Amino acid sequence: MYQYTEYDREFLHARVDEFRDQTDRYIAGQIDDDEYKQLRLRNGLYLQTHAYMLRVAIPYGLLSSVQMRKLGHVARVYDKGYGHMTTRQNIQYNWPQLEQVPDLLSELADVDMHAIQTSGNCIRNTTTDPLAGAIEDEIEDPRPWCELIRQWSTLHPEFNWLPRKFKIAVTGALSDRAAVQVHDIGLRLKKNNSGDTGFEVFVGGGLGRTPYIGQVINSFLPSQHLLTYLAAILRVYNLEGRRDNLYKARIKILVNAMGIDRFRERVEDEWQHASNSDDTFTEDEIESLKKQFPLAPHLGGELQQPDQVFSNPLFNQWYLANTKAHRDSGRRIVYISLKAPGTPAGDITAEQMEAVADLADEFSLGEIRSTHEQNLVLAHVPADQLFSLWSALKQHKLATPNLGKLTDMIVCPGLDYCSLANAGTLAIYDQIYQRFDNLDYLHELGDISIKISGCMNACGHHHIGDIGILGVDKGGVEWYQLTIGGHSGNSAAIGKRLGKAIAKSEVADAIERLLSAYIANRNDNESFHEAVNRLGTEPFKERVYDTAA
Amino acid sequence: MTLLRNGVWTDNDAWTPVESHDENESLKTDLQAHHLLNIDQFQSLSLEEKTRAPGVMLNPEDDVQVLKEHLSTLQLIAINFPKYTDGRGYSQARILRTQLNFPGEIRAIGDVRPDQILFMMRAGITSFQFETQPNEQVVQQILTRFKANYQPSYSLPIAG
Repeated sequence: MYQYTEYDREFLHARVDEFRDQTDRYIAGQIDDDEYKQLRLRNGLYLQTHAYMLRVAIPYGLLSSVQMRKLGHVARVYDKGYGHMTTRQNIQYNWPQLEQVPDLLSELADVDMHAIQTSGNCIRNTTTDPLAGAIEDEIEDPRPWCELIRQWSTLHPEFNWLPRKFKIAVTGALSDRAAVQVHDIGLRLKKNNSGDTGFEVFVGGGLGRTPYIGQVINSFLPSQHLLTYLAAILRVYNLEGRRDNLYKARIKILVNAMGIDRFRERVEDEWQHASNSDDTFTEDEIESLKKQFPLAPHLGGELQQPDQVFSNPLFNQWYLANTKAHRDSGRRIVYISLKAPGTPAGDITAEQMEAVADLADEFSLGEIRSTHEQNLVLAHVPADQLFSLWSALKQHKLATPNLGKLTDMIVCPGLDYCSLANAGTLAIYDQIYQRFDNLDYLHELGDISIKISGCMNACGHHHIGDIGILGVDKGGVEWYQLTIGGHSGNSAAIGKRLGKAIAKSEVADAIERLLSAYIANRNDNESFHEAVNRLGTEPFKERVYDTAA
Repeated sequence: MTLLRNGVWTDNDAWTPVESHDENESLKTDLQAHHLLNIDQFQSLSLEEKTRAPGVMLNPEDDVQVLKEHLSTLQLIAINFPKYTDGRGYSQARILRTQLNFPGEIRAIGDVRPDQILFMMRAGITSFQFETQPNEQVVQQILTRFKANYQPSYSLPIAG
């Protein structure tokens, strides 16, 4: 992974020093509430319902074991002993004290971590494929490009006060695991006919109140122009994006108001001016970044068969659900599910963080990834050590074999923590989890995603769940709106609304009826969203609302 | 002192926006030294008068490109930040410096806050008109804290 230089470290400590000074001046009454809010947001610090919340950046979801241990330490010392993995590969702490945040950030800086631009109307953490560098279907490792974007976007002088937040995702694989089409800018690495690397560039995707699938603004951007092109898009957005209405300020609204063709013209016009001046990088710079993401040492060996059966049925179940083929036949990619029964989705305790750090050192080259599904990945586990790893994970309740299955839900913090939320999400997660906590049933059902958001800001990405659940408030009562058929892979789609909202106590019942309609109607190996595409919403609607009778 | 210019605190100078005036009032008086015309006022001038305009003030919604042909005679361009959270002025400054190659003074006016002037400087703004006197020591720290930055083609601040 990227190794910080002295320069990076000095920069981070200067940033901590700056925030400490700003916090001191705020406490002394020299900075008003409104301005301090803007300053703290750009350092990841929100004010939530009960307390401050700090969102720490995990750049493109990549962590060393040393950093993971520090996150555990932070959870123990500055929080209530746990952290929460987010849908953008970051980690949140829900209970830090304001006065202690500069010290907390200073401790993070000691291990090359920070919370810069994890909130506020600026360029956020760049996200990518959690299997980058380990998966076979890769055109090129996206992480050097993510690091380039991280550096370029960090305290960029022109783009710190955008109309609204701005999210970039990059994928280097044929199969998109980074949801690039639902980001403000999505980048897909590709090669042209001459073998040169470039990017397919999507713009204007996003969820929230008005979900849009990103549109192609450039089908092949030669890679050496990446930053100038990003800067041109950002400049057009900065100048022309709406600032009069918070809910219409994202770039997706601008792109759709202008139309993609006119938007492209404006960007190309800016880009012509930009391409020879600012925001450039040299071949040497990107080559030296690429050297920092070497392949895992090759082990080789016999390829594990997909239908391999191990004698221990529990291990076998976990192997099938939570491990994936590595590009090296001697290794496997291992997912650590943070959706264990009885714990909030995405939460991880200090002890678990430390355990994961130790296991990463022992089994996976000291490296950990976070996923936008709020799980973790050990990407390079030697195939002959899987049983040992599984046994150790089990002791820490980190071996729940439900990766990609119905109980592997994405859940925003909801009304219990978030001041924006209209409805609770954690209780709904529990309700569904308890109803379907039968592993045989889950495995028979196959891969299916449920995504739950507590309000239309859609932090739980409900629009792109096979089944999306949106909490709404009706006269002080929590109701839940279902959508079906959403998808975030290569054929991204926004889910369709099923019908009227469901009462809180009846959500699991409704899901059960939805699933029975799916099982009754599905063809062989047909996924849930494929079935919805083929059948439309009607058969599902009839079953859920019992309108067929 | 509320004016920071090229990293040095100075007494306020006379640069000031021209109030919008009655229909038939002569614009000639506005072409006096240190008058900042807004874009509408500037656009209403004849070509010859435009060459005598000393300075203009850009509001966030203004298109910088309208100044393209007149940059060699303008002494100062003020960028107005009605609210510090509106970042359009940063792009305006950047376009003036890198696309239009304006060499003169660019001044931030309006809701200018000490904690933002480092970004402004790096975007190409060279002077700052504060509404109230900031703590000079705080400003000094803000301008000298970062020794380098991640966008090398953008200038480092001129520390006072």
